[in-house]
Amino acid sequence: MEAFQGLLSGFQVALSWEGIMFVLIGVVVGTLIGMMPGLGPISAIAIMIPITYGMDPAPALVMMAGVYYGAVFGGSTSSILLNAPGVAGTVATSFDGYPMAQKGQAGKALAIAAVASFIGGTVSVVLLMLLAPALSSVAISFGPPAYFALMLMGLTAISSLSDGSTLKALISAVAGFMVVTIGIDPQTGTQRFTFGSVNLLDGFDFLIIALGLFAVAEVCMLVLNRRNNSLSDSQKLGSLKLSKSDLKEMSGPVSRQSFVGFILGVLPGAGATISSFISYIFEKKIAKKPEEFGKGSIKGIAAPESSNNAATSGAFVPLLSLGIPGSGTTAVMLGAFLVLGVQPGPMLMVERPEIFWGIIASMYLGNVFLLILNLPLIPYLAKILAIPRPMLISLVIMFSLVGVYSISFNVFDLYMLLIFGAIGFFMRIFSFPAPPFILAFILGGMMEQAFRQSMTISNGNLSIFVTSPLPLTLIIISLLSFLVPVLLGLRKKKVEV
Amino acid sequence: MLKTMNQRIGLILVILAGSYLLLSYQLPSYPYTSVDADVIPNGLGWLLILLAILLYFSRTKETEAEKQKRAIPRKELLVLAAVFAMIFLYIFLFEMIGFIIMTGLFIYFCSWFLGYDKWKTNLIVSILFPLTLYGIFVYALGIVLPRGILPF
Amino acid sequence: MKKISMTLLLMLSAVALAACNSDNANGDSNGDGGDFTPTKPIEMVAPAGAGGGWDTTAREVAKVFGETGILEENMAVINKEGGGGAIAWAYIHGKNDSPYNLFVSSPPLMFVPLNGQSQYGHEDFTPLANVIADYGAFAVREDAEWDDLNDLFDDMKEDPESVTVIGVSAPGSMDHIQFIRIAKAAGVDVTKIKYVSEQEGGTLTALLNGSVDVYSTGVGETVEQVRAGNIKVLGITAEERLEGEVLSDFPTAMEQGIDETFVNWRGFFGPPNMDQAAVDYYEAKFKELSDSEEFDEVRKKYGWNEMYMDSEEYKTFLDEEKKEIETLLDELGLGN
Repeated sequence: MEAFQGLLSGFQVALSWEGIMFVLIGVVVGTLIGMMPGLGPISAIAIMIPITYGMDPAPALVMMAGVYYGAVFGGSTSSILLNAPGVAGTVATSFDGYPMAQKGQAGKALAIAAVASFIGGTVSVVLLMLLAPALSSVAISFGPPAYFALMLMGLTAISSLSDGSTLKALISAVAGFMVVTIGIDPQTGTQRFTFGSVNLLDGFDFLIIALGLFAVAEVCMLVLNRRNNSLSDSQKLGSLKLSKSDLKEMSGPVSRQSFVGFILGVLPGAGATISSFISYIFEKKIAKKPEEFGKGSIKGIAAPESSNNAATSGAFVPLLSLGIPGSGTTAVMLGAFLVLGVQPGPMLMVERPEIFWGIIASMYLGNVFLLILNLPLIPYLAKILAIPRPMLISLVIMFSLVGVYSISFNVFDLYMLLIFGAIGFFMRIFSFPAPPFILAFILGGMMEQAFRQSMTISNGNLSIFVTSPLPLTLIIISLLSFLVPVLLGLRKKKVEV
Repeated sequence: MLKTMNQRIGLILVILAGSYLLLSYQLPSYPYTSVDADVIPNGLGWLLILLAILLYFSRTKETEAEKQKRAIPRKELLVLAAVFAMIFLYIFLFEMIGFIIMTGLFIYFCSWFLGYDKWKTNLIVSILFPLTLYGIFVYALGIVLPRGILPF
Repeated sequence: MKKISMTLLLMLSAVALAACNSDNANGDSNGDGGDFTPTKPIEMVAPAGAGGGWDTTAREVAKVFGETGILEENMAVINKEGGGGAIAWAYIHGKNDSPYNLFVSSPPLMFVPLNGQSQYGHEDFTPLANVIADYGAFAVREDAEWDDLNDLFDDMKEDPESVTVIGVSAPGSMDHIQFIRIAKAAGVDVTKIKYVSEQEGGTLTALLNGSVDVYSTGVGETVEQVRAGNIKVLGITAEERLEGEVLSDFPTAMEQGIDETFVNWRGFFGPPNMDQAAVDYYEAKFKELSDSEEFDEVRKKYGWNEMYMDSEEYKTFLDEEKKEIETLLDELGLGN
């Protein structure tokens, strides 16, 4: 009953004209910043923090939340159009979004992403509203051993992220894992592979790797193919019509992955990135035609997009109900709360119900706004691809550079972007897939830390991973998902022989 | 010995993994942990060597599509190298000359170099685009881009 | 013409020197800033990204400076993230003697160089003033068997392997060292303490779900969870009890018979070789800020404590503090 009253007061905040206005400002700013290649939710929130100084906390936080999920919503645009993911959560979207756009269906790809995002976001707000208080215990159920097992599960998906040789996929993954070991090791403070350079102490930012391997490497391919500009039919390019069968095709992935995304979003440390990868792989594994994935599959866009938006709302569970920021982005978000004199945590719901529920209630509205705002923009956005190739190439290069510069203000990182661009190009021409590299880069670092934390806790006893049910289950799942295809493959070969 | 592409790549990977391992084995040890900072890197290094050896001896032939991917004419590679050189120059002068001028020059010359011949449009984009972006970043978003030699 | 300008220059410098001297002789009479007054916006660097402690301090200080008019010129906050501060410090170090480039820092300005991760430490900069103090807190789950620090340390003396401590920073940095420092004073063998670093935001999670036993953090991070009845604070590193609801319930290590403290000081610095006149100017301005009602509000909002030190005091304090940390790190075998 108390929760219901809280929710009512939340809707009062969200539906006041002030509330509506700030949700609108938040999602507009968020989605526009998110669309820029290289700028993601972290930059969006950080940019907005100084603006909220001195504002009334409830509307300010409603706006900040809007900026956050708005940026995630808009983030898919540059992934789909330019293969330039500005945030880790949309890397998986580029796997199928970019190929579809290159087939001349950019509008459709963007529309699928927008609809999937909207549904993912809305489903997870409903779950958030119903379950936020109850789920806070789930959010803290993962200790280091369970995180290790979760990351392991994500990594076993590597082979399914490549069409060609599994060996090459594994080599890519090991290389990605090696790159993430560069920098100060958190468990010991040891500098690894930094060559004494201050610039390498923190290792490489995700954006350098993602924009290098995806955007700059793609630019190289565009340079080689600059003469066949096949995407000049802008009428068709911008069409965002989804046929009934399209909608039917995406309904399965969207409904499943909204839940998967939400649950993974609730876990601190997992979040939108991991959920989008897991959802992508999940759908690929159960798809009737997995070979369509990676070539512009509708499911391949719908799954990660519904998942990463659902995870974004899910991340509000630990943030609001426990005061635990589960990711770099929510940590900045927590900073935004503190600046406004609001301490998120278990007491927030009791003491400031209008803020707790106001943010949740405003998300319904925000998601509707996002859909209404984004759909009409799609035809114009899609026309970006009709820009003549030479000009488009220059602009993408420049955007990638500015994106990287705006996170660190360090020219060193720009050189690194160039180097990873070259690496990405060579990987392409020698058929080493980039997705396993980036997956291992994202998961590997966390996996190593979780492994070593567990080992310190258990005094070096490996049994810590199998003595409690949660990590054990996850490890069994990962072993199965790795071994089953291998065994099946062996049998197939025998039959062929 | 280095007949196939796989063999050549395998060899390069072994060298890379070897130098990584060399550095990894030199990492200082930290007394208060059961799994030290060098354990995982050492594992990764050896794993890469193993995979590279597998690649070296793998008998999978390159598919036609794969071969075609690397069949790039020398001239095109030079074009690519030139683009990289331009990016390098852009980065090198980025903070000295400033965002607006460098971006304008980069967009104009890179587009022109890659075969965009409508010089009027090119010029307009090269001037308006950096100015707009600079305005958005610096004045609306508060992200400071290098001003360089310009007074604003 | 040349002669005239030379004479003028000489005269000016004589006046400047005189002003400087008189300022030193009786600083109070001219506390308003000596003969340095900024004529262009002042850049304030937060050596970290937006939303963190350094960034918040810098922004709130800049805001109060602007709103109260204590500072006539605008103070612009710039974030320079990376290397735990090292990148920003290298940047400021390059601004030799500029009176327009300030930055905010706290104990990592010692830990990072001591761990060999920055070329520059506090002695490479000009301390202007310390403004606030924060303290460390050691928290355990509400249902934990320990009720005070001595309970905990007794167990750790008996069986050091049974207790795991978690914190955000890497070993040899703040969360680790503040615990080591108190534990050592209580007689625990510090080379046997198990410490885990968690930088992805999972520290509290790991404490609450029982993966680890003790959470070493800042006082402010614990309040909310204590009020919710999830955790209890065994001890804090302040000299005396803090003021404020909940905060005043936290026992200090001192009152539990452990004669050691740790201050998470936070203050402002300038580039090396900053002119004495500029130092005097800023010192006075920060004093005025610290005493202002508006800044008192800010302190209350974040639960910070007032701790003003002028440039001289600050320098002495930092030198002593660094020596102590160095000894501790050497003992752990972590010194560089």
